[in-house]
Amino acid sequence: MRSEWRRCAGIVALAVLRTGIAATLASRTATAAEPSRGPLPVVIEGSAQDGFRIIRGGTPFELRGVAGEERLELLAACGGTTFRTWGIESCERIVAGSPLLDAAHALGLTVTVGIWLGHERHGFDYRSGEQLDRQRRAVEEAVSRYRHHPAVLFWGLGNEMEGPAGGGANPIIWREINTLARLVKQLDPHHPVMPVVANVNPDKIRAIIEHAPDIDVLGVNAYGGVTAVGRTLRDNGWVKPYCITEFGLSGPWEVEHTAWNAPIEPSSRVKAGDTFSALKVIMEDHRQCLGAYAFLWGHKQEATWSWFGMLTPAGEKTPRVDALVRAWTDRWPADRAPVLRETDVPLANATVAPGEKVSVRLRYEDPEEQPLTYLFEVVAESTDRREGGDAERAPHAVAGAVQRSGRDGDVEVTAPTNPGAYRLFVTVRDGAGSATVDNWCFRVTR
Amino acid sequence: MRRESYGFLLVGCFVLAGPAVADEDFGDSTSATLTGKAWAALASGDFARVSVFTGRCRELYAGEAAKQQAGLTDFLPADKVHDMWALNDVGTCCFIEGQALEKQGRNADAAAAYKQVVESYGFAQCWDPKGWFWRPAEAASRRLAQLEFDKVLDAK
Repeated sequence: MRSEWRRCAGIVALAVLRTGIAATLASRTATAAEPSRGPLPVVIEGSAQDGFRIIRGGTPFELRGVAGEERLELLAACGGTTFRTWGIESCERIVAGSPLLDAAHALGLTVTVGIWLGHERHGFDYRSGEQLDRQRRAVEEAVSRYRHHPAVLFWGLGNEMEGPAGGGANPIIWREINTLARLVKQLDPHHPVMPVVANVNPDKIRAIIEHAPDIDVLGVNAYGGVTAVGRTLRDNGWVKPYCITEFGLSGPWEVEHTAWNAPIEPSSRVKAGDTFSALKVIMEDHRQCLGAYAFLWGHKQEATWSWFGMLTPAGEKTPRVDALVRAWTDRWPADRAPVLRETDVPLANATVAPGEKVSVRLRYEDPEEQPLTYLFEVVAESTDRREGGDAERAPHAVAGAVQRSGRDGDVEVTAPTNPGAYRLFVTVRDGAGSATVDNWCFRVTR
Repeated sequence: MRRESYGFLLVGCFVLAGPAVADEDFGDSTSATLTGKAWAALASGDFARVSVFTGRCRELYAGEAAKQQAGLTDFLPADKVHDMWALNDVGTCCFIEGQALEKQGRNADAAAAYKQVVESYGFAQCWDPKGWFWRPAEAASRRLAQLEFDKVLDAK
């Protein structure tokens, strides 16, 4: 689960929205609830033997997705066709002057509308009738509000709500998911219901098959092991369609760590390659896989601020976006992000003394040969590490550690005087809307 | 000091040491032993010895592996995987060879090794000490896509 941060952020954003634009909320809601265009029914045709396909409004729909709701115009320009959200409050966000679903529809994009479900590790109790009733009412309200909107593709029921206990096979949770799936389908027969789980294993798959027979599609978030998802599902009797609902690269929990237990972030180049190769292999399953949502169309702090984000905090696209475009369209976008060519970083995974000066040389190339600018920063290693993608606080940058940032990749770094774990970050910008970010771990000891 | 270079800069920068076959200890020369030795050589970065062990495994067992592959229409369940011992080990050795070639920057040769895994030994399975079987052809497909990406990334 990469994404509870999204829920938290969404709740905060919702609170702001509610206080700031309360007067307009009612009219926006009315617009969303009763759009003049009406729903575009979505059905899934086919079988596991012959292959499944999505039919939207009577026309085959190709699912080229991202997880996240930033810069929708860029997503559409890149060839994306859909994005997914995690909590229903996202639908109330105003994007370019319109509610999110309207903005998506205007760009020709569809949405897997996420409806957040409680997690036991956060205190939700799937044995509590009162809590279940409250959750069911929330689901009912969400579906009733947005079911007629033409941008809706699927209902994304929960996100990794099965939790890690018992391998995610707790029948109580899956029976409740089935109850909710039936509820959604009674309210809205036009959009498939897709619970989203944290990867799959034999016990979890068997529990879903036995206890949640009414779901239409299984959404699976998977990182390092994403290419084995289809096979694992088939080997354990799954005959319905599935989607990869989060993927991209190995997570901090899957990579090599330094001697001081800092996860070593893959380079920008490796991340782009991982995204491309994962999607290519996912797309080879023409039978049961309906498509995939790359994580994360936006940015977030998880181990580092650059690990999962395909966009920088300033909204620039990174090489992973270029990789997605290449995989989707077999072409590069008109403007590509700078490409990492060479690194000479003596600091990398090394220990240095306080105040020690270290020269770093990097070489990036811009495919369009635009001039590049380099921004170097030394940032303390994150100490606020959470489970399952829960929101983390970003660590601070160290003032005065970088002697120069300019138009080439040469820089002298002065190690912080305080002992501890750090990272050297570089952001390389082409000035045309693309940027590449890399970082290297180091430690300061006396 | 850590110094890395990427893409085309690596291609052609390495020369393979000639395998010293005559001096090598092949143990009992079973496919499992040869595969284990190939893994160990890969882990230690001794690419010449990787080639010796994988080459020996193919030389001795590729014929049987091809027969076993031809007799399958799908992956065998876990309790029968070891029946396909030759297929499993020869397929794994081809994958190991691809890894070694890739680490030397010989991407075209690595791609050829990975293609052989996919096309000739597609139903091979390999035990992971973590507790499950993985499939060399799946891993090879992923590496092929990665190499394809590197190629287009570096194309001028």
